[in-house]
Amino acid sequence: MNTPERRARLLVCCYPPAWRARYGDEFVQLLVDEMAERPRSPARTADVVRSGLIVRLESAGLTGDALDPQQQARAGLGALGVAASAFLAAGVAIWAQLTIGWQWSAPAAPATRTGMLVMSGAMLGLALLAILGAVPLLWTICRELAGGRGRALVVPLLAVGLGSVTLIAGSIHFGHGWPGTGGHPWAGRDIVPGDVARFCWAATLWIMSYWAHPGTLASFPASEIGWMVVSPVALGAILIGAAKTLRRLQISARVLRYESWLGLAAGAAMAAFLAGAGSWIVSGSPAPRGLFRVGAIDSVGIVVMAAALIVAFRAAQRTLAAHPSRTVA
Amino acid sequence: MDPATLILSSLADGPKHGYALTKDIQGFADVRIAPGTMYEALARLERRGLIEPLESSDRRRPYRLTAEGALALGALLDSQRRIADVGLRRLASSTGTA
Repeated sequence: MNTPERRARLLVCCYPPAWRARYGDEFVQLLVDEMAERPRSPARTADVVRSGLIVRLESAGLTGDALDPQQQARAGLGALGVAASAFLAAGVAIWAQLTIGWQWSAPAAPATRTGMLVMSGAMLGLALLAILGAVPLLWTICRELAGGRGRALVVPLLAVGLGSVTLIAGSIHFGHGWPGTGGHPWAGRDIVPGDVARFCWAATLWIMSYWAHPGTLASFPASEIGWMVVSPVALGAILIGAAKTLRRLQISARVLRYESWLGLAAGAAMAAFLAGAGSWIVSGSPAPRGLFRVGAIDSVGIVVMAAALIVAFRAAQRTLAAHPSRTVA
Repeated sequence: MDPATLILSSLADGPKHGYALTKDIQGFADVRIAPGTMYEALARLERRGLIEPLESSDRRRPYRLTAEGALALGALLDSQRRIADVGLRRLASSTGTA
Protein backbone atom coordinates (compact mmCIF):
# COMPACT_ATOMS: atom_id res chain seq x y z
CA MET A 1 0.00 0.00 0.00
CA ASN A 2 1.47 3.38 -0.95
CA THR A 3 1.99 6.17 1.54
CA PRO A 4 -0.94 8.50 0.61
CA GLU A 5 -3.30 5.51 0.68
CA ARG A 6 -2.00 4.47 4.09
CA ARG A 7 -2.20 8.01 5.46
CA ALA A 8 -5.71 8.41 4.09
CA ARG A 9 -6.87 5.13 5.62
CA LEU A 10 -5.37 6.20 8.94
CA LEU A 11 -7.28 9.50 8.82
CA VAL A 12 -10.55 7.74 8.03
CA CYS A 13 -10.23 5.98 11.41
CA CYS A 14 -11.37 9.29 12.93
CA TYR A 15 -14.90 8.36 11.81
CA PRO A 16 -17.22 5.78 13.41
CA PRO A 17 -17.47 2.30 11.80
CA ALA A 18 -20.96 2.81 10.32
CA TRP A 19 -19.82 5.99 8.57
CA ARG A 20 -16.67 4.27 7.29
CA ALA A 21 -18.75 1.41 5.88
CA ARG A 22 -20.84 3.87 3.87
CA TYR A 23 -18.36 6.61 2.88
CA GLY A 24 -14.94 5.17 3.74
CA ASP A 25 -13.73 4.09 0.28
CA GLU A 26 -14.83 7.21 -1.58
CA PHE A 27 -13.50 9.44 1.20
CA VAL A 28 -10.12 7.68 1.05
CA GLN A 29 -10.08 8.33 -2.71
CA LEU A 30 -10.82 12.03 -2.17
CA LEU A 31 -7.98 12.24 0.35
CA VAL A 32 -5.61 10.44 -2.02
CA ASP A 33 -6.54 12.88 -4.81
CA GLU A 34 -6.01 15.81 -2.45
CA MET A 35 -2.64 14.44 -1.33
CA ALA A 36 -1.53 14.08 -4.93
CA GLU A 37 -2.07 17.82 -5.32
CA ARG A 38 -0.89 18.90 -1.86
CA PRO A 39 1.09 16.12 -0.15
CA ARG A 40 1.25 17.81 3.26
CA SER A 41 -1.51 19.94 4.76
CA PRO A 42 -1.93 20.28 8.53
CA ALA A 43 -5.18 22.20 7.89
CA ARG A 44 -6.57 19.24 5.93
CA THR A 45 -5.62 16.82 8.70
CA ALA A 46 -7.20 19.10 11.32
CA ASP A 47 -10.36 19.34 9.22
CA VAL A 48 -10.66 15.55 8.95
CA VAL A 49 -10.09 15.08 12.69
CA ARG A 50 -12.69 17.79 13.50
CA SER A 51 -15.19 16.34 11.07
CA GLY A 52 -14.63 12.81 12.40
CA LEU A 53 -15.31 14.05 15.93
CA ILE A 54 -18.52 15.78 14.78
CA VAL A 55 -19.73 12.59 13.06
CA ARG A 56 -18.87 10.54 16.16
CA LEU A 57 -20.81 12.98 18.36
CA GLU A 58 -23.74 12.77 15.93
CA SER A 59 -23.70 8.99 15.98
CA ALA A 60 -23.61 9.13 19.80
CA GLY A 61 -26.77 11.25 19.68
CA LEU A 62 -25.01 14.26 21.21
CA THR A 63 -25.31 16.70 18.33
CA GLY A 64 -26.71 17.25 14.87
CA ASP A 65 -29.70 15.59 13.23
CA ALA A 66 -28.07 12.44 11.83
CA LEU A 67 -30.35 9.99 13.61
CA ASP A 68 -34.07 9.30 13.65
CA PRO A 69 -35.76 9.91 17.03
CA GLN A 70 -35.64 6.26 18.11
CA GLN A 71 -31.94 5.97 17.25
CA GLN A 72 -31.31 9.38 18.76
CA ALA A 73 -32.86 8.33 22.05
CA ARG A 74 -30.91 5.08 22.20
CA ALA A 75 -27.63 6.66 21.16
CA GLY A 76 -28.21 9.41 23.73
CA LEU A 77 -28.74 6.81 26.44
CA GLY A 78 -25.55 5.03 25.40
CA ALA A 79 -23.60 8.30 25.56
CA LEU A 80 -25.15 9.04 28.93
CA GLY A 81 -24.10 5.63 30.21
CA VAL A 82 -20.53 6.09 29.02
CA ALA A 83 -20.33 9.61 30.50
CA ALA A 84 -21.77 8.39 33.81
CA SER A 85 -19.27 5.51 33.85
CA ALA A 86 -16.33 7.86 33.24
CA PHE A 87 -17.67 10.08 36.01
CA LEU A 88 -18.02 7.13 38.36
CA ALA A 89 -14.54 5.77 37.60
CA ALA A 90 -12.96 9.11 38.52
CA GLY A 91 -15.42 9.75 41.35
CA VAL A 92 -15.12 6.34 42.96
CA ALA A 93 -11.31 6.60 42.90
CA ILE A 94 -11.47 9.85 44.88
CA TRP A 95 -14.31 8.77 47.14
CA ALA A 96 -12.68 5.44 48.04
CA GLN A 97 -9.43 7.16 49.07
CA LEU A 98 -11.32 9.62 51.25
CA THR A 99 -13.54 7.03 52.91
CA ILE A 100 -10.52 4.84 53.62
CA GLY A 101 -8.89 7.90 55.16
CA TRP A 102 -11.94 8.34 57.38
CA GLN A 103 -11.49 4.72 58.56
CA TRP A 104 -8.39 6.01 60.31
CA SER A 105 -9.62 9.36 61.46
CA ALA A 106 -12.45 11.80 60.72
CA PRO A 107 -11.42 14.81 58.62
CA ALA A 108 -10.57 17.92 60.61
CA ALA A 109 -12.10 20.43 58.19
CA PRO A 110 -15.91 20.76 58.38
CA ALA A 111 -15.97 21.46 54.62
CA THR A 112 -14.29 18.12 53.95
CA ARG A 113 -16.69 16.30 56.29
CA THR A 114 -19.70 17.94 54.61
CA GLY A 115 -18.25 17.27 51.17
CA MET A 116 -17.73 13.60 51.97
CA LEU A 117 -21.26 13.23 53.31
CA VAL A 118 -22.63 14.82 50.14
CA MET A 119 -20.41 12.61 47.97
CA SER A 120 -21.49 9.47 49.85
CA GLY A 121 -25.17 10.43 49.57
CA ALA A 122 -24.76 11.11 45.84
CA MET A 123 -22.95 7.80 45.39
CA LEU A 124 -25.81 5.98 47.11
CA GLY A 125 -28.28 7.85 44.91
CA LEU A 126 -26.36 6.88 41.77
CA ALA A 127 -26.29 3.23 42.86
CA LEU A 128 -30.09 3.28 43.38
CA LEU A 129 -30.63 4.96 40.01
CA ALA A 130 -28.38 2.37 38.33
CA ILE A 131 -30.51 -0.44 39.83
CA LEU A 132 -33.76 1.31 38.83
CA GLY A 133 -32.39 1.81 35.31
CA ALA A 134 -31.08 -1.72 34.95
CA VAL A 135 -34.31 -3.52 35.89
CA PRO A 136 -36.42 -2.70 32.79
CA LEU A 137 -33.40 -3.16 30.52
CA LEU A 138 -32.65 -6.60 31.99
CA TRP A 139 -36.32 -7.50 31.58
CA THR A 140 -36.21 -6.41 27.92
CA ILE A 141 -33.01 -8.42 27.37
CA CYS A 142 -34.58 -11.54 28.93
CA ARG A 143 -37.67 -11.11 26.73
CA GLU A 144 -35.53 -10.76 23.59
CA LEU A 145 -33.45 -13.81 24.47
CA ALA A 146 -36.53 -15.89 25.37
CA GLY A 147 -38.19 -14.87 22.11
CA GLY A 148 -35.17 -16.05 20.11
CA ARG A 149 -34.44 -12.50 18.87
CA GLY A 150 -31.34 -11.92 20.94
CA ARG A 151 -28.61 -13.44 18.80
CA ALA A 152 -27.04 -10.02 18.19
CA LEU A 153 -26.95 -9.45 21.94
CA VAL A 154 -24.91 -12.53 22.82
CA VAL A 155 -21.41 -11.15 22.15
CA PRO A 156 -21.93 -7.77 23.87
CA LEU A 157 -23.62 -9.49 26.82
CA LEU A 158 -20.69 -11.88 27.09
CA ALA A 159 -18.34 -8.89 27.15
CA VAL A 160 -20.39 -7.31 29.95
CA GLY A 161 -20.50 -10.60 31.86
CA LEU A 162 -16.82 -11.43 31.58
CA GLY A 163 -15.80 -7.84 32.34
CA SER A 164 -18.07 -7.74 35.40
CA VAL A 165 -16.86 -11.08 36.78
CA THR A 166 -13.24 -10.02 36.29
CA LEU A 167 -13.76 -6.62 37.89
CA ILE A 168 -15.75 -7.92 40.86
CA ALA A 169 -13.52 -10.94 41.56
CA GLY A 170 -10.33 -8.91 41.13
CA SER A 171 -11.58 -6.03 43.28
CA ILE A 172 -12.56 -8.41 46.09
CA HIS A 173 -9.19 -10.16 45.87
CA PHE A 174 -7.01 -7.06 45.67
CA GLY A 175 -9.19 -5.16 48.16
CA HIS A 176 -7.88 -7.51 50.84
CA GLY A 177 -4.35 -6.56 49.91
CA TRP A 178 -4.63 -2.96 51.03
CA PRO A 179 -2.73 -2.64 54.28
CA GLY A 180 -5.06 -0.01 55.71
CA THR A 181 -8.38 -1.84 55.61
CA GLY A 182 -7.79 -5.54 55.13
CA GLY A 183 -9.29 -7.32 58.14
CA HIS A 184 -8.90 -4.38 60.51
CA PRO A 185 -11.38 -4.06 63.35
CA TRP A 186 -12.12 -0.41 62.64
CA ALA A 187 -14.43 -1.21 59.73
CA GLY A 188 -17.71 0.44 60.52
CA ARG A 189 -16.23 3.55 62.17
CA ASP A 190 -16.60 5.41 58.90
CA ILE A 191 -19.77 6.60 57.18
CA VAL A 192 -19.18 3.78 54.70
CA PRO A 193 -18.49 0.10 55.54
CA GLY A 194 -14.81 -0.77 55.16
CA ASP A 195 -15.58 -3.61 52.74
CA VAL A 196 -17.25 -1.20 50.34
CA ALA A 197 -14.41 1.30 50.64
CA ARG A 198 -11.67 -1.20 49.91
CA PHE A 199 -13.65 -2.81 47.07
CA CYS A 200 -13.99 0.61 45.41
CA TRP A 201 -10.32 1.36 46.07
CA ALA A 202 -9.24 -1.89 44.39
CA ALA A 203 -11.61 -1.40 41.43
CA THR A 204 -10.06 2.00 40.69
CA LEU A 205 -6.49 1.18 41.68
CA TRP A 206 -5.33 1.96 38.13
CA ILE A 207 -6.37 5.63 38.51
CA MET A 208 -3.19 6.86 40.12
CA SER A 209 -0.42 9.34 39.46
CA TYR A 210 2.31 6.66 39.77
CA TRP A 211 1.93 5.99 36.03
CA ALA A 212 3.97 9.18 35.64
CA HIS A 213 6.59 7.83 38.07
CA PRO A 214 7.71 4.45 36.71
CA GLY A 215 10.34 4.05 39.43
CA THR A 216 7.72 4.14 42.18
CA LEU A 217 5.31 2.05 40.15
CA ALA A 218 7.94 -0.67 39.76
CA SER A 219 8.05 -1.07 43.54
CA PHE A 220 4.46 -2.38 43.49
CA PRO A 221 3.98 -6.18 43.53
CA ALA A 222 3.80 -7.60 40.00
CA SER A 223 0.30 -8.95 40.65
CA GLU A 224 -0.97 -5.45 41.53
CA ILE A 225 0.63 -3.96 38.43
CA GLY A 226 -1.05 -6.71 36.41
CA TRP A 227 -4.37 -5.86 38.04
CA MET A 228 -3.87 -2.18 37.17
CA VAL A 229 -3.67 -3.22 33.52
CA VAL A 230 -6.46 -5.82 33.60
CA SER A 231 -9.06 -3.80 35.56
CA PRO A 232 -9.40 -0.91 33.07
CA VAL A 233 -9.60 -3.47 30.25
CA ALA A 234 -12.44 -5.22 32.13
CA LEU A 235 -14.16 -1.87 32.67
CA GLY A 236 -13.77 -1.08 28.96
CA ALA A 237 -15.31 -4.45 28.03
CA ILE A 238 -18.29 -3.72 30.29
CA LEU A 239 -18.78 -0.26 28.79
CA ILE A 240 -18.44 -1.30 25.15
CA GLY A 241 -20.62 -4.38 25.70
CA ALA A 242 -23.31 -2.32 27.46
CA ALA A 243 -23.29 0.37 24.75
CA LYS A 244 -23.58 -2.23 21.98
CA THR A 245 -26.36 -4.06 23.85
CA LEU A 246 -28.25 -0.80 24.22
CA ARG A 247 -27.92 -0.03 20.52
CA ARG A 248 -29.13 -3.48 19.46
CA LEU A 249 -31.94 -3.83 21.97
CA GLN A 250 -35.56 -3.19 20.95
CA ILE A 251 -36.47 -0.77 23.70
CA SER A 252 -40.03 0.50 23.99
CA ALA A 253 -40.73 4.23 23.93
CA ARG A 254 -41.99 4.10 27.51
CA VAL A 255 -38.75 2.53 28.77
CA LEU A 256 -36.70 5.04 26.76
CA ARG A 257 -38.55 7.94 28.36
CA TYR A 258 -38.18 6.36 31.82
CA GLU A 259 -34.44 5.87 31.29
CA SER A 260 -34.10 9.45 30.05
CA TRP A 261 -35.67 10.82 33.24
CA LEU A 262 -33.43 8.57 35.31
CA GLY A 263 -30.52 9.97 33.29
CA LEU A 264 -31.47 13.51 34.25
CA ALA A 265 -31.76 12.43 37.89
CA ALA A 266 -28.32 10.79 37.60
CA GLY A 267 -27.01 14.10 36.24
CA ALA A 268 -28.33 15.86 39.34
CA ALA A 269 -26.69 13.26 41.60
CA MET A 270 -23.42 13.64 39.70
CA ALA A 271 -23.62 17.42 40.11
CA ALA A 272 -24.12 16.94 43.87
CA PHE A 273 -21.13 14.57 44.00
CA LEU A 274 -19.00 17.09 42.13
CA ALA A 275 -20.08 19.84 44.52
CA GLY A 276 -19.07 17.62 47.45
CA ALA A 277 -15.70 16.92 45.88
CA GLY A 278 -15.31 20.65 45.21
CA SER A 279 -15.97 21.35 48.87
CA TRP A 280 -13.13 19.01 49.84
CA ILE A 281 -10.75 20.46 47.23
CA VAL A 282 -11.49 24.05 48.22
CA SER A 283 -11.15 23.34 51.94
CA GLY A 284 -7.68 22.07 51.10
CA SER A 285 -7.06 20.74 54.59
CA PRO A 286 -5.14 17.44 54.65
CA ALA A 287 -5.57 17.03 58.42
CA PRO A 288 -5.34 14.82 60.27
CA ARG A 289 -2.07 13.08 59.31
CA GLY A 290 -2.34 14.08 55.64
CA LEU A 291 -5.15 11.58 55.10
CA PHE A 292 -7.20 14.06 53.06
CA ARG A 293 -4.45 15.61 50.98
CA VAL A 294 -5.48 16.78 47.50
CA GLY A 295 -3.17 15.23 44.90
CA ALA A 296 -2.62 16.02 41.22
CA ILE A 297 -4.60 12.93 40.23
CA ASP A 298 -7.57 14.28 42.21
CA SER A 299 -7.49 17.54 40.25
CA VAL A 300 -7.43 15.55 37.01
CA GLY A 301 -10.34 13.48 38.34
CA ILE A 302 -12.36 16.63 39.03
CA VAL A 303 -11.79 17.85 35.46
CA VAL A 304 -12.83 14.44 34.07
CA MET A 305 -15.96 14.44 36.22
CA ALA A 306 -16.90 17.98 35.15
CA ALA A 307 -16.51 17.06 31.46
CA ALA A 308 -18.48 13.82 31.96
CA LEU A 309 -21.23 15.72 33.75
CA ILE A 310 -21.62 18.15 30.84
CA VAL A 311 -21.80 15.25 28.35
CA ALA A 312 -24.29 13.35 30.54
CA PHE A 313 -26.66 16.32 30.85
CA ARG A 314 -26.40 17.01 27.12
CA ALA A 315 -27.12 13.34 26.31
CA ALA A 316 -30.10 13.19 28.69
CA GLN A 317 -31.55 16.40 27.26
CA ARG A 318 -31.21 15.17 23.68
CA THR A 319 -32.68 11.79 24.58
CA LEU A 320 -35.75 13.48 26.03
CA ALA A 321 -35.94 15.95 23.13
CA ALA A 322 -35.98 13.05 20.65
CA HIS A 323 -39.60 12.24 21.68
CA PRO A 324 -39.14 8.53 20.93
CA SER A 325 -42.85 7.91 21.56
CA ARG A 326 -43.67 9.46 18.19
CA THR A 327 -41.86 6.76 16.28
CA VAL A 328 -43.12 3.72 18.08
CA ALA A 329 -46.52 2.21 17.39
CA MET B 1 -20.63 30.70 2.00
CA ASP B 2 -22.33 27.56 3.27
CA PRO B 3 -20.65 24.39 1.87
CA ALA B 4 -24.06 22.83 1.19
CA THR B 5 -25.08 25.71 -1.09
CA LEU B 6 -21.75 25.52 -2.92
CA ILE B 7 -22.11 21.75 -3.41
CA LEU B 8 -25.70 22.01 -4.64
CA SER B 9 -24.71 24.81 -7.02
CA SER B 10 -21.83 22.74 -8.35
CA LEU B 11 -24.10 19.73 -8.94
CA ALA B 12 -26.63 21.90 -10.78
CA ASP B 13 -24.84 21.29 -14.10
CA GLY B 14 -24.37 17.55 -13.65
CA PRO B 15 -23.09 14.77 -11.36
CA LYS B 16 -19.62 15.08 -9.79
CA HIS B 17 -17.49 13.10 -7.35
CA GLY B 18 -15.79 14.56 -4.30
CA TYR B 19 -12.57 15.78 -5.89
CA ALA B 20 -14.37 17.14 -8.99
CA LEU B 21 -16.66 19.08 -6.63
CA THR B 22 -13.64 20.51 -4.80
CA LYS B 23 -12.04 21.73 -8.03
CA ASP B 24 -15.30 23.04 -9.52
CA ILE B 25 -16.21 25.01 -6.38
CA GLN B 26 -12.70 26.40 -6.18
CA GLY B 27 -13.09 27.51 -9.80
CA PHE B 28 -16.42 29.37 -9.53
CA ALA B 29 -16.41 30.49 -5.86
CA ASP B 30 -12.70 30.72 -5.07
CA VAL B 31 -13.36 28.57 -2.00
CA ARG B 32 -11.59 25.28 -1.33
CA ILE B 33 -13.75 22.97 0.74
CA ALA B 34 -11.58 20.67 2.88
CA PRO B 35 -12.32 16.91 2.56
CA GLY B 36 -13.83 16.47 6.02
CA THR B 37 -16.17 19.42 5.56
CA MET B 38 -17.03 18.20 2.05
CA TYR B 39 -18.15 14.75 3.20
CA GLU B 40 -19.89 16.11 6.28
CA ALA B 41 -22.02 18.24 3.91
CA LEU B 42 -22.47 15.45 1.33
CA ALA B 43 -23.72 13.03 4.01
CA ARG B 44 -26.14 15.63 5.37
CA LEU B 45 -27.47 16.52 1.91
CA GLU B 46 -27.92 12.83 1.09
CA ARG B 47 -29.81 12.26 4.36
CA ARG B 48 -32.15 15.11 3.49
CA GLY B 49 -32.74 13.67 0.03
CA LEU B 50 -31.30 16.71 -1.77
CA ILE B 51 -28.60 14.69 -3.54
CA GLU B 52 -28.16 11.00 -4.35
CA PRO B 53 -25.14 8.79 -5.08
CA LEU B 54 -24.68 7.15 -8.48
CA GLU B 55 -23.10 3.81 -9.25
CA SER B 56 -19.41 3.98 -10.00
CA SER B 57 -16.85 1.56 -11.36
CA ASP B 58 -14.13 2.94 -9.07
CA ARG B 59 -13.95 4.61 -5.67
CA ARG B 60 -14.77 8.08 -7.09
CA ARG B 61 -18.51 7.92 -6.46
CA PRO B 62 -20.42 10.72 -8.20
CA TYR B 63 -23.44 12.49 -6.69
CA ARG B 64 -26.30 14.19 -8.47
CA LEU B 65 -28.96 16.68 -7.53
CA THR B 66 -32.43 15.19 -6.86
CA ALA B 67 -35.62 16.96 -7.97
CA GLU B 68 -36.13 18.01 -4.36
CA GLY B 69 -32.55 19.27 -4.24
CA ALA B 70 -33.06 21.34 -7.39
CA LEU B 71 -36.16 22.95 -5.86
CA ALA B 72 -34.35 23.63 -2.58
CA LEU B 73 -31.35 25.15 -4.42
CA GLY B 74 -33.64 27.35 -6.53
CA ALA B 75 -35.44 28.64 -3.43
CA LEU B 76 -32.16 29.19 -1.58
CA LEU B 77 -30.47 31.10 -4.39
CA ASP B 78 -33.62 33.14 -4.98
CA SER B 79 -33.63 34.14 -1.33
CA GLN B 80 -29.92 34.99 -1.45
CA ARG B 81 -30.45 37.06 -4.64
CA ARG B 82 -33.23 39.07 -2.96
CA ILE B 83 -30.97 39.74 0.04
CA ALA B 84 -28.09 40.67 -2.26
CA ASP B 85 -30.36 43.00 -4.28
CA VAL B 86 -31.56 44.78 -1.14
CA GLY B 87 -28.03 45.11 0.22
CA LEU B 88 -26.64 46.44 -3.06
CA ARG B 89 -29.53 48.88 -3.50
CA ARG B 90 -29.11 50.26 0.03
CA LEU B 91 -25.35 50.46 -0.41
CA ALA B 92 -25.81 52.37 -3.66
CA SER B 93 -28.27 54.84 -2.10
CA SER B 94 -26.05 55.51 0.92
CA THR B 95 -22.78 55.90 -1.00
CA GLY B 96 -24.18 57.12 -4.29
CA THR B 97 -22.56 54.26 -6.21
CA ALA B 98 -24.01 51.11 -7.70
